Amino acid sequence: MRLADFWIENDYFNTPLIIFMKLTIKEVARSLDLPSNTLERWVRQGRIPMRRTGNTCMFKKSVLEKWAKNHNLLFLPPERIIENKPEPILENLLPLMKRGGIFYGIKGDDVQSVLLNAVDKIPGLAESQKDQLYEKLIERERLTSTGIGKGIAIPHPRTPLSNAIGHPLITTCFLEKAVNFGAVDDKPVFVLFILLSQSVKGHLHLLSRLAFCMRDDAFVESLKEPPAIDVLCSRIADFEEKLDKRG
Amino acid sequence: MSKLKLLRYPANWPLFRTDDRLLLIFIAIIVGTCSGLGAVALNRSILTIFDFLYDYHHLWWAFFFPAIGAVLSSLFLEKIVKEGAGHGVPEVIYSVSRYGGLLRFRSSYSRLISSCLTIGSGGSAGPEAPVVMSGAAIGSNIAKFFSLNDRQRVTLVGCGAAGAISSIFNAPIAGMVFTMEVILGEWSSVNIIPIAIASVAGTEVSRILQGNQIAFSHRHFSIDFTDITASIGLAVITAAASILLTRMLGYMNGVSSRLSFPVWIRAAIGGCAVGLIGFFLPDVLGEGYQPIRAMIEGSFRQGLIAVALAGIAKIVATSLTLGWGGSGGIFAPSLVIGSFVGLAYHRALVFLWPAASWVNEGCFALLGMAGLISGILQAPLTGIFLIVEITGSYEVILPLILVSAVSTTLCHYIEPASIYLKGLVEKGHLLRPGTDARVLTDLSIEELLETDCITVKQNMLLRDFIDIIKRSHRNYFPVEEEDTGYFLGMIHLDDIRPYLFDFMMYDAVILGQLMNTRVETVRPEDDLADVLRKMDENRLFSMPVVANKRFIGMISKATLLDKYRKELIVQTAP
Repeated sequence: MRLADFWIENDYFNTPLIIFMKLTIKEVARSLDLPSNTLERWVRQGRIPMRRTGNTCMFKKSVLEKWAKNHNLLFLPPERIIENKPEPILENLLPLMKRGGIFYGIKGDDVQSVLLNAVDKIPGLAESQKDQLYEKLIERERLTSTGIGKGIAIPHPRTPLSNAIGHPLITTCFLEKAVNFGAVDDKPVFVLFILLSQSVKGHLHLLSRLAFCMRDDAFVESLKEPPAIDVLCSRIADFEEKLDKRG
Repeated sequence: MSKLKLLRYPANWPLFRTDDRLLLIFIAIIVGTCSGLGAVALNRSILTIFDFLYDYHHLWWAFFFPAIGAVLSSLFLEKIVKEGAGHGVPEVIYSVSRYGGLLRFRSSYSRLISSCLTIGSGGSAGPEAPVVMSGAAIGSNIAKFFSLNDRQRVTLVGCGAAGAISSIFNAPIAGMVFTMEVILGEWSSVNIIPIAIASVAGTEVSRILQGNQIAFSHRHFSIDFTDITASIGLAVITAAASILLTRMLGYMNGVSSRLSFPVWIRAAIGGCAVGLIGFFLPDVLGEGYQPIRAMIEGSFRQGLIAVALAGIAKIVATSLTLGWGGSGGIFAPSLVIGSFVGLAYHRALVFLWPAASWVNEGCFALLGMAGLISGILQAPLTGIFLIVEITGSYEVILPLILVSAVSTTLCHYIEPASIYLKGLVEKGHLLRPGTDARVLTDLSIEELLETDCITVKQNMLLRDFIDIIKRSHRNYFPVEEEDTGYFLGMIHLDDIRPYLFDFMMYDAVILGQLMNTRVETVRPEDDLADVLRKMDENRLFSMPVVANKRFIGMISKATLLDKYRKELIVQTAP
């Protein structure tokens, strides 16, 4: 067999050059998930195949892979070690509220009709998605009301919507008239913050921030007379600043 | 210069690049040859001194010879080379299990000289253990010269020991088996092959220099079934003799170490006592191969009582020599005592059942040797192969195996550790490969350190601490002193969970009031076995590691399991 055929057969042209690479003790330690002082001891005790050139040790990757396989150890080549991805930065309230839109005078006499009308307002959703979302919101309401008191409700689906929406969003809906939502304090609800997020983490993040704003009684009071969009936004921005300062 | 460097790194020679097995075999030849030469040198010089002094043995003051020899030997060890007394085999075993077979260069000749003085002057000891020590040291230092790693060094230490035993007994298989069974305690093909090669080299050296002679040749023995049955009784007696010798050695060691004299005076007292015994029973002096030869050939004339007495005298003389500061091994005395015991047993059998047709008395002397060696070393294979090789009598193999097996079992029952391992086991220094103790000794606390704990300051408010808890992945928080950074105590989340949700306490409590100051801590240099015992005793799952009063990390059983398993895999895999 010609050498070139052999190479083609073994797919050498497509394997990265890294296969023939030599590794340092630090890289091997990372690949085996061991501290480097263990590796150094193994080298001293002759438990791991290596070659010494002067004072430095060199490990051949292919040899090590075979050795690790024989010893039933996991060897992750350096290029395959998954770096801990930086956590995706969670978006704050304001951009999501802007994305979700703020709507006034939502009609309806009960939970169902209010939610149906509110879902209809959510931007960027196809009709079928809206029906689906409505079903999910109702399902969640049936479990327990999302009315958190003081006339505020935060309707959200039970499980995060990962595919249905492109981005997390908050749709704010001021109701035409207060509706009995079965809230914890039995007060009729006059404003909805529909919370759509893609992950549990994002959902909790938004919920805790929203709850922080709602703890402020004066702010809740001011919502009873639906404020203009820019007023609301500037109030939320103030709250977020406080939150960020607190860390 | 670069050529010299290449010489020091044979692992980089093109021939040995692919595999270190060839390299080890190559170096094993060198080691086997050197240790074989050492063994021959010791053997020759003992014979020369012994023969020289033999002419004066009839003089009344001849009993001083062993004393003088023992004094010189102990002074040499104590003052000149500064090494401990004893035969050195436990040191070799310890070094193999703990330090990858590192031995000092001077060990390669010190025991040779001291035991030469002791035995040549008539002390009752053997040259085998000293040559094992010197062979092992030669192997270790050759490995060091070629900058080999621990595993290879251990193999070469084994090669040295095997070469030495092979050479001194002209018995290659016994050398191999002794090394695997006693010195290394591990049978793996990686070790066996170089050690076998070293045995061949050592034996060949001795054959070239001293001729291919079987130490104790004899006539043909024909073994009957009655003899085989009788050999079981012999095994019991040899086991008893082994225990007696082991206990006597321990007792003499204890007595002499309680005396407050300098070592050389102790050696002199022991030597004089040996000399006095030897004055009446010259057979107990020296390594004592002449009487063995006589007994195996069947030309030993004394009766039952005299032989039994000689056996006991040899036990006492050996304990006096070795226990009181002389230098030498237990191998040759065991052979002598074994043949006395075997002969006495035969005389007793003939006395009790004169009508039965017993095999020649030499055969029982030979079986007695096997029984004693197996019992003393608790190494049955060594006993079997050594006796087969030094007597060249394969026809007695059946009773030989029987005696070795029974004697080893009985001795092990009464004395769980053999004479070489006793001291090591008592100190917890016996670390055979692949055992829990070995894995724990190899792992160090620094390798197990978990450094992902967030340290907090003593004067921090609970409110600020809550924010730290939000960021942390661990349940443990070490508390440091504000300005010195000294470790003060630990906060475990479980301890403060009830207060975490009490808003009133957020600004009222500082961490100094929350922390637990009575924590068990570990130092990085602590023994892992002790740390684990501490964890178990206190039902702990993890403990803080503190160095120089500063917290450096946590050690936990979870990480330990991971590392322990990897270590075990790497240590036990071939």
